[in-house]
Amino acid sequence: MQLPDKKGHFGEYGGRYISETLMPAVIELELFYKKIKNDKEFIKEFNYYLKNYVGRPSPLYFAKRLSDVYKSDIYLKREDLNHTGAHKINNTIGQALLAVKMGKKRIIAETGAGQHGVATATVCALFDLECEVFMGKKDVERQKQNVFRMELLGAKVNPVESGSQTLKDAMNEALRDWITNIKTTYYMIGTVAGPHPYPLIVRDFQSVIGKEVLKQLKKLPDILIACVGGGSNALGLFYPFFKYYQVDMYGVEAGGCGIETGMHAASISGGAPGVLHGNKTYLLQDEFGRIADAHSIAAGLDYPGIGPEHSYFADKKRIIFDSVTDEEAVTAFQKLCRLEGIIPALESSHAVAYLEKIKKEIKGKTVVINLSGRGDKDMHTISDYLASNTLKK
Amino acid sequence: MSKENKIDTVFKRLRTENKTAFIPFISIGDPDIETSLEIAKTLVKNGADIIELGFPFSDPMADGKVIQKSYERALKRKISMKDAFNFIKKLKTYRDIPVILFTYYNPVFILGEKFAEGAQSAGIDGILAVDLPPEESAELTKYIQDKNIYQIYLLAPTTGNERMKDILSCAKGFVYYVSVTGVTGARKNLPETIRTKVKEIKKISSIPVGVGFGISSKEQAKDIGKSADAVIIGSKIIQFIEDNINDKPAMLRKIAEFSSGIKSSL
Ligand SMILES: Cc1ncc(COP(=O)(O)O)c(C=O)c1O
Repeated sequence: MQLPDKKGHFGEYGGRYISETLMPAVIELELFYKKIKNDKEFIKEFNYYLKNYVGRPSPLYFAKRLSDVYKSDIYLKREDLNHTGAHKINNTIGQALLAVKMGKKRIIAETGAGQHGVATATVCALFDLECEVFMGKKDVERQKQNVFRMELLGAKVNPVESGSQTLKDAMNEALRDWITNIKTTYYMIGTVAGPHPYPLIVRDFQSVIGKEVLKQLKKLPDILIACVGGGSNALGLFYPFFKYYQVDMYGVEAGGCGIETGMHAASISGGAPGVLHGNKTYLLQDEFGRIADAHSIAAGLDYPGIGPEHSYFADKKRIIFDSVTDEEAVTAFQKLCRLEGIIPALESSHAVAYLEKIKKEIKGKTVVINLSGRGDKDMHTISDYLASNTLKK
Repeated sequence: MSKENKIDTVFKRLRTENKTAFIPFISIGDPDIETSLEIAKTLVKNGADIIELGFPFSDPMADGKVIQKSYERALKRKISMKDAFNFIKKLKTYRDIPVILFTYYNPVFILGEKFAEGAQSAGIDGILAVDLPPEESAELTKYIQDKNIYQIYLLAPTTGNERMKDILSCAKGFVYYVSVTGVTGARKNLPETIRTKVKEIKKISSIPVGVGFGISSKEQAKDIGKSADAVIIGSKIIQFIEDNINDKPAMLRKIAEFSSGIKSSL
């Protein structure tokens, strides 16, 4: 069966839970995308920018020293080497081309860590589009450097002061802007979530990651591992492999201070199905259905929801979801720095950290980890974390 | 035979009187449960024909600043759906006015059938879930259809003609026309197109049309009342709560004055 179905459902998840004002715009986008996605010119243009601007294909690097440690063959899919330093640009290139073809001149986006914001600001500069990015006030303070990057690229960054002042509130505010400026504005969602067709569009644009791995590895891997915030880098890697039942997939959520503490961002491991931001999916919420605040050291994972396709495959057990804590992620971060000379993003460090949890299962196996981004943006966070931890000890 | 839904009763009566319904909106629990119950009673006493009660939600994506802040004030104390049901029961013993619960879908979804049972015993007449378009409402419909509770649907300025027809064909009680392309919040100027839109709707269906979002004055209410069957006002009333947060008597007095002023203009 093709997923999503006609109404954008992945089993019971997904769909379109939005106010009426937005409905026509989302339907327009769906029809437009359906028409253009197999258009030769569009595909050619998308591939042109992926190759010449983003720098694709990204290498599939055999991590020799890491492999020695785990007695397995570990490959890193180097999304960190993309222009702007993460997988996010694959999606924004695709959506910017869509927006241009739809005749939209103004782009809005939400961002947490600022990676999607930077990727959006970048393509807006490239395609001469007006750009406004919504970012929780707390994140603006935590991620000053990315705010500055966005501004250098010509974007306007709007700090969001409502609610918990983080990514979910940025998305609320972006939706409010979209309701108000629906006629002129294209909403560029940064992950495989939101109302249909966004989960489908973002998945399609990101699946270049998995397609390249299929070609580069020249055989099927045994295990795929990716970190999961909204789930776009994970689905980008996994999607082309769903049909190969022998390939195991692990989605690693942010365990924060530990699931049992309640301070985490693991929607599947520690949440329940609900409705937010246009889709039905696993969410962090209280017993009254109010959305809970997420916590993760990785700002890009700090979101109380997950894309609906992940919820579907979690129930089906096609993707195994688990989590690693802040501490485990930082340990893996340091390990990759020292063993391979690669400074990963804190988000991606969660995927690397998972090796430790399944070290028995992976012996002698071929493993591909999606290294979704690089760690330059995390220097402050890491140094603060390490400083406060030495103090504690 | 099941009883007639009270929303229908009110619109029938007003139609024979050639009058427009006044539907005020406030949030349950803003600034606290007791005060909000007094506010609701004040509105009922001063001209409300139907009352819309908001269930405070953590992420009100379709709401402007005033209602966001109202929900934030209410959320300082945890309010459960059960509290909301009790609130409505109390209001209904004061006066048997039709009540529409205005909510985002998640708090309803997680309760499922239990929501519908509670809503029925509380006497809720309609539910308006802002983020639940007809495409996704089968689940809720299944639970409420045999309980004489209507789901109230929205039409927006962006809704095209074909879609409007589809929505109107399943609308019950009244249809809520969102007068502006935007979030909730009082506005000085409303689009000129409201009247033509209401006329378009009326050409397709005989269901009553309520107009809301942005209405803030007697003059606007009166003008819209010429074509619409109901005028819905939220942010403007809630602004009185915010502005008089430390002076309850003044808050209630101003809301009473405003409310009866609106009613007399319709
Ligand atoms: C490097 C990196 N990896 C992962 C994520 C998480 O997003 P997703 O789960 O959509 O891939 C982010 C988000 O900002 C990111 O910057």
